[in-house]
Amino acid sequence: MTVMAPLIEVTLRGLLGRRRTLLLVLLVSVPVLIALLVRVTGGRPDADRVLDTLVVRTVMPLVALIVGTAAIGSEIEDGTAVFLMIKPIDRWRIGLSKIVVAAGLTAVLVVPSVVLTGVLIGSRNDTATSVVGFSLACLVGGSAYVAAFVALSVFTSRALLVGLAYVLIWEGVLAGLLEGTRFLSIRQATLGLAAALGVKVPGDPLGPATSVAVLGTVLVGAFLLTNWRLARFEIRGGD
Amino acid sequence: MTSTPFQGSGPLSPTTPAPAPTRAPALEVDHVSRWYGNVVAVNDISFSLGPGVTGLLGPNGAGKSTLLHLMAGLLAPSAGQVLVEGASAWRRPEMYRHIGLVPEREAVHMYLTGLEFARLNARLQGLDDPEAAAARAIATVDLIDAADRRIGTYSKGMRQRAKLAGALVHDPTILLLDEPFNGMDPRQRLHMMALLRSMAAEGRTILFSSHILEEVERLADSVLVVYAGRLAAAGDFRSIRRLMTDRPHTFTVRSSDDRRLASALIGDAAVFGAELADGRVAIRTADYDAFTRALPQVAKTIGVTLFEVRPTDDSLESVFSYLVRR
Repeated sequence: MTVMAPLIEVTLRGLLGRRRTLLLVLLVSVPVLIALLVRVTGGRPDADRVLDTLVVRTVMPLVALIVGTAAIGSEIEDGTAVFLMIKPIDRWRIGLSKIVVAAGLTAVLVVPSVVLTGVLIGSRNDTATSVVGFSLACLVGGSAYVAAFVALSVFTSRALLVGLAYVLIWEGVLAGLLEGTRFLSIRQATLGLAAALGVKVPGDPLGPATSVAVLGTVLVGAFLLTNWRLARFEIRGGD
Repeated sequence: MTSTPFQGSGPLSPTTPAPAPTRAPALEVDHVSRWYGNVVAVNDISFSLGPGVTGLLGPNGAGKSTLLHLMAGLLAPSAGQVLVEGASAWRRPEMYRHIGLVPEREAVHMYLTGLEFARLNARLQGLDDPEAAAARAIATVDLIDAADRRIGTYSKGMRQRAKLAGALVHDPTILLLDEPFNGMDPRQRLHMMALLRSMAAEGRTILFSSHILEEVERLADSVLVVYAGRLAAAGDFRSIRRLMTDRPHTFTVRSSDDRRLASALIGDAAVFGAELADGRVAIRTADYDAFTRALPQVAKTIGVTLFEVRPTDDSLESVFSYLVRR
């Protein structure tokens, strides 16, 4: 644990750069501001639907994408990752610390957004169920997204672009159209988990076992891939 | 040429390892090649290093950084093997307890202060007292005054020293430095050279790359000359310097009577070729010093005025190229 502490600290300081922090705070504020606007104007929309559309489908994957691809991807890009790689530390510890910090930061940003949005919009008796269900689902789903994006960033320098294509094109369009591909969608698994926790999710969500299996596979698989790649880390450039 | 022409008594050892070594050399590069697609960056290089300062000399793009990264375990050899204290350098993080690396291009964490960066390195090394180790490293590289400033505000030379502090924090026995003097002012350069010399005197193995001959000359006991991915020469610096000086040189001379000058020079012992071309006379000599002494005397004797004398192959590129060809 002694070497994990500095790894966690330096990752967190690297992630919390001024511009990135501002962007992330603005992003998670969007659902809250919309909920506040709705409340002020007297509207009473379905909280489940709002949380599903604004947080699970939009804010959570984007926050996880920004944080996950920056956790180690930006360090590989600017070269600072080399100073971690030339230490007597098992590479899996480096990968794990990056995923844990990025997942923790995503949770810290997304969960309050879920809670505030739900509380501001909710009017029915089961608001608490929605908020708790979505919060837990986002905690696990956000971690799965982060792990996937961290893994992506150690394989390609275009992780942000590839991740964005996954979120917008694969999950946003194809996974909705092609029924058989839903189990390849972190979003669908997150919604399935939320449904299993009592949230009314539109459509036909994945079952609890499938959702847990998908999210677990993504988490473990992404960690293993990250570890595999970092163990074979090669410096870029040189003459 | 892939073998080492010299076998000095300094830190460099012959290409082929001793048959029954009592102790493995600190660093051993054994027929190592590294290619990127069709581009060969390092081509079948072998040498071994022991305690002392060795300069890795070569022009930009020669393969120096690739070679250093191979030795630091940051690149996998495409062929051959790199051994650090007798074990493979590739995929062996525990070797970093004994190695310090100062990379050239890699950025340092700009949001950390110099002291925080040294402390981070000490903590990642798992040292018992990272605070003391960091303070010691900062003092060693003469960065105390700027220790609490963010690295983002440092000059390039100061960043180099911060990197060096990070590399020294765990007191490594092997130190690899990629162009460590880049961006340093003369005072910093002298301080760094004195520091590296004293560390070598303590028994450390130090390898630094440079494309500047004078830097290597002032600091290194031995030298590895790399050109176009190949080991052009290796061994005692003075021997290699002599090789570089004694090689054939070509001068172009413009004078009031090129034909007469060429005829007169061809009889000089130092000259073995002279030809007229493009309004100039091109002269080839095997003895740089003797020719440059003889030329004005010959011209004066025959009454020819010299307008221009220019060595045409005095760049480091041509020197390295010559060493590879021979």
